[in-house]
Amino acid sequence: MKNLRIGAILGALLMVAAACSSTPVGKAGGTLIVALPGDIVRTDAALMDDSNTSYVIQQVVETLVGLEPGSTSKVIPVLAESYVMSADGLTYTFKLRSGIKFHDGTEFNADAVVFNYERFIGLPTELRDYAFYIGDIFGGYGSESNLESATKIDDLTVAIKLRKASSNFLLTQTLQVFAIQSPTALVLGKADNTETDVAKITAATGGAGAMVGTGPFKFVKWTVGDSVEVEKNAEYWDKAKVAYVDAIIFKAVAEEAQRVNGLATGEIDLAQTIAPATIAAIAANPDLQLIDRGSSFNTFQISMNHTYAPISNPKIREAIAYAIDYDFLIETFYAGAAVRATNWMPAGVAYAKDLNLPGYDVEKAKQLIEESGETDLTIDFWYPNDVSRPYMPDPKGLFEAITANLEAVGFTINPNSDGWREGYLDDENQGKYEMWLLGWTGDWAGPDNFLKTAFFGYKNGAPSKEFAYKNDALDKAMNDALAAGTEAEAKTLWETAQDLIRADMPTVPVANSKPQAAATIDLKGFIGSAALNEPLNLVWLDRP
Amino acid sequence: MGRYIVRRLIAAIPVLIGLSILLFAYIRILPGDPCVAILGQHRTPEACAALRENLGLDLPLWEQYIRYLTNTLSGDLGASVINSQPFLAEFLTRFPGTVELTIGALVFALGAGIPLGRIAARKVGGRVDGLITGVSLFGVSIPVFVLGLALVAVFGVILEWLPTQGRIDARARFDATSGLLLIDTLFAGRLDLFVDVVRHLILPSIALGSIPLAIIARITRASVIEVVNEDYVRTARSKGLKEKTVDNRHVMRNAWLPVTTVVGLQAGGLLGGAVLTETVFVWNGVGRWVVDAIQNRDYPIVQSTILVFALIFLVVNLLVDIGYALLNPKIRYQ
Repeated sequence: MKNLRIGAILGALLMVAAACSSTPVGKAGGTLIVALPGDIVRTDAALMDDSNTSYVIQQVVETLVGLEPGSTSKVIPVLAESYVMSADGLTYTFKLRSGIKFHDGTEFNADAVVFNYERFIGLPTELRDYAFYIGDIFGGYGSESNLESATKIDDLTVAIKLRKASSNFLLTQTLQVFAIQSPTALVLGKADNTETDVAKITAATGGAGAMVGTGPFKFVKWTVGDSVEVEKNAEYWDKAKVAYVDAIIFKAVAEEAQRVNGLATGEIDLAQTIAPATIAAIAANPDLQLIDRGSSFNTFQISMNHTYAPISNPKIREAIAYAIDYDFLIETFYAGAAVRATNWMPAGVAYAKDLNLPGYDVEKAKQLIEESGETDLTIDFWYPNDVSRPYMPDPKGLFEAITANLEAVGFTINPNSDGWREGYLDDENQGKYEMWLLGWTGDWAGPDNFLKTAFFGYKNGAPSKEFAYKNDALDKAMNDALAAGTEAEAKTLWETAQDLIRADMPTVPVANSKPQAAATIDLKGFIGSAALNEPLNLVWLDRP
Repeated sequence: MGRYIVRRLIAAIPVLIGLSILLFAYIRILPGDPCVAILGQHRTPEACAALRENLGLDLPLWEQYIRYLTNTLSGDLGASVINSQPFLAEFLTRFPGTVELTIGALVFALGAGIPLGRIAARKVGGRVDGLITGVSLFGVSIPVFVLGLALVAVFGVILEWLPTQGRIDARARFDATSGLLLIDTLFAGRLDLFVDVVRHLILPSIALGSIPLAIIARITRASVIEVVNEDYVRTARSKGLKEKTVDNRHVMRNAWLPVTTVVGLQAGGLLGGAVLTETVFVWNGVGRWVVDAIQNRDYPIVQSTILVFALIFLVVNLLVDIGYALLNPKIRYQ
C-alpha cells in the first residue's frame, strides 16, 4: 500500500515533469531581423522615452518586476523573486533572485539595485529631460521625488521606500526605464550621476558601458541611424528561456512599403508595426503572417475644451457622441484593426469597465441639440496635418469623416489644421482649440496613466488648460485611488472616477486601435503585447 | 594652370560667406519658438534654457554669427539634438555609403548613357534614336522614389533576383573598416560578401543613375551630332581615315567637353538624389540620415549636412572646371 502511494506520487511527479518539458521546443540558431519604424535614441535604459529604444532595450536589460508576456497589466516577478508591501503602503521589500550575473560578469545583488534606484532619485538636472518617465512617475527628483530611498537589507533583499503610498508603484516599475543595469558598467560609461553632459555619457551613446543588463540578449553594437545588433546570452539565468536565435538585428526601416517588401523578400523576419493600409497585402501573401496583439493600448478621442460654447454644454457633447458613425471610421481608417471605445481607457487597463458610451444615432443627436437650447452650433475643429499616430492613422481622413457626421446633425464646423510640432501640440495644450483630434498610447496599464496623466488630472491644483474640465470630485477620487492602501479600495475609487467622467462626457472617445505586426510565416513563438513588451528570446525561426 | 586654379579658389570665397550667412539665418527663422521646434513634446524649461545658451540665442546677432563662424571653422559642426551623436563622426561613418552609391550610379549612367548617346547620334531620326530619346525622356521624368519602388517590386519581390534594402546582407554581420564595403570585403578576403555588396548596389544605382543617364545620353547625342558636321571631321574622313579612328580621335575628343560639364554637375545632383534613393533602399548613407534628421527636426544635423553638401558641390564644380581646362586649353588663357 505504501509502495503504491509512493508509486502514485512518483507517477504524478513524472507527469508534471513531462508536462513541463512538453512546452513547444523551438529550433535554435539563426539571426532574426526585426524592422522598427525608426532608430533607437540612446543605449541607457534610464535615459529614454521612446518606443523604439524601449523595444530593443527590453531584450537586454531587466526590471525587478515585469509584465506577463502578452499582458498589459499583469505584474510578475523578474529579477525579484518576490515582493511584499508594508501595511502603510510605503515600503516595498524585494527579495532578489540569487546567482544572476550581469553581461559584464559582475554580480547582480542588492547593491546593484540600490545603486540604480539611487541614480533614479539623484539624476542630474541636465539629464532629466531625457528620462521623462522617471520624473513623471515619481513627481520629480531628489526631495521632490516620491521615491524616498532604496536600502539594502541583506545581499539579496532591498527595501524601497516611498514618501506617500502609490497604488501604481509596481505597475510603473515594469517600465524599462527602471531596469537594473550593471553598476560597474554605469560607472565605466559615466552614467553614475557624475557626468551631466549626455553626449559624454558613453553608456547612453553606444560606447563603453552601454546596455549592460541581465537579459537574454547582450548588446553588440549600434550603427546610429541604421541598426542595433544584440546577441544571445547563453548564460541567461532563466535556463528555460535562453534565446533560440543567435542574434537579433533591429533595422530602422522608415518606409512602410519597404517593411512589407523586406518581409516578402525575406530580408526582414518581423516588422514590429505595420499600417492599417497594408494589412490586406500582408493577409493576401501566404508566406507572411499578420500578428494581432489581442488587446489595444491606446485611446483615440475627439478632444474638447470646456471654455468654449457650445462645447461647454454637456448635452452638446453627448449629442456629438451620438452623431459619430464609429463602425464606418473603424472599417475605413483602421482596416478593422481597432475596436469601438467603451471607456476613456482601453479594455485591458486595470479596473476599466464598459461605460455604455453612446452609439451612432442621428435622431438622438438632433434631439439632444434641441434640448441643449444652444442656437449657435458653430465649432472650431482642428487636426494635425503632418503626422499619423498609432491611434490615428489618417488624421485628415478621420477629420473629414467626423466633420461630415457632425454637419449631418446640424453643426457648422470651421475646419483648421496645423503642424504637429509647429503649433498643434502647443496650442491644444494651452487651451487654444475648441475641439481637436488627439489620443494617447499607454505607458503603463494603470487607469491613472490614461484618466489622470493623459486626460483629466488637475495641473497645479486646477483643471488643465487643455480641456478646462472642472470636476473636483473626480480629481479627488483619482488622487485618493492612487494613494489607496488596498487593491479593493483602489478599485472602488477608480470605478467612481469612471462614473463621474461618463456622467459629464468631457470628450468623446472614438476607438482603441490595435497596431498590427507582421512576420514571415516561419517565425514562431512570438507573443505579441499591446504594450509592446515582447520578449524575443521566445521566438524561433522554423527554417532549414 | 596654377593661376587659373587660384583664381577659381578666390572666386569661391564670396560663395562660402553667402552660404554661412544663409545657414546661420536658417535656424533663427524657424517658425515659432526654436525650443518647441527642436525639443518637441517633452521639453522642460531647464532644457529650453540650456538649448538657448548652447545656441547662444540670447546674444546679439553679430556676436552669434561670429560664434557660429568660429565654431564651424574650428571643425565643431554641432551634435544631434535627438541622440547627442556628434555630427562629424556620424557624417564620416555614413559618407562612404553615399560615395559608393554615387559611384555606382555614375558608373551606370556613364556606362549606359554615353554608348546610348553615340548610337542615337549615329542613327539620327531613326527608330533606334526615337527609342533612346524616348527612354531618356522617361528617365528624366520619373521620380527617383517611384522608380526605386518599382525596381524593388519587380526585381526584388516578384523575380527575387536582387536584394532590396541595405548595403550588405544584415545576417552576414560583417564589420567594415573603411566603410567602403566593396573594398572592405575584398580586403577581408570575403569574395562571397563582395558579390553580395555588388548585388545590393545594383538596384539603387539604377534608380539613382536614371536621371543622369538620360541627361548624359541626350547631351552625348547632341554634342556628337554637332561635331560630326564640323569641317575637320569631314577633312579627317576625306583623308581616308578609318571610321573608328575618326570617331575616337576627332569626334569624341571634341564631343567630350559638354559631356564633362554635365557629368560634373550630375555628380553634385546625385548627392541630392541620394536623399530619396537611400531612404527607399534603407541605405545607410548621408541621404537617409538627413531625411531622418528633417523628420525629427534635428536642426544641427540638417544645418551641417547642408554646409558639407554645399562644400562638396563647390569642390566638384572646381574639379570639373579644372578638368574642362585640361581638356580644352583655350579656357586656361581666357
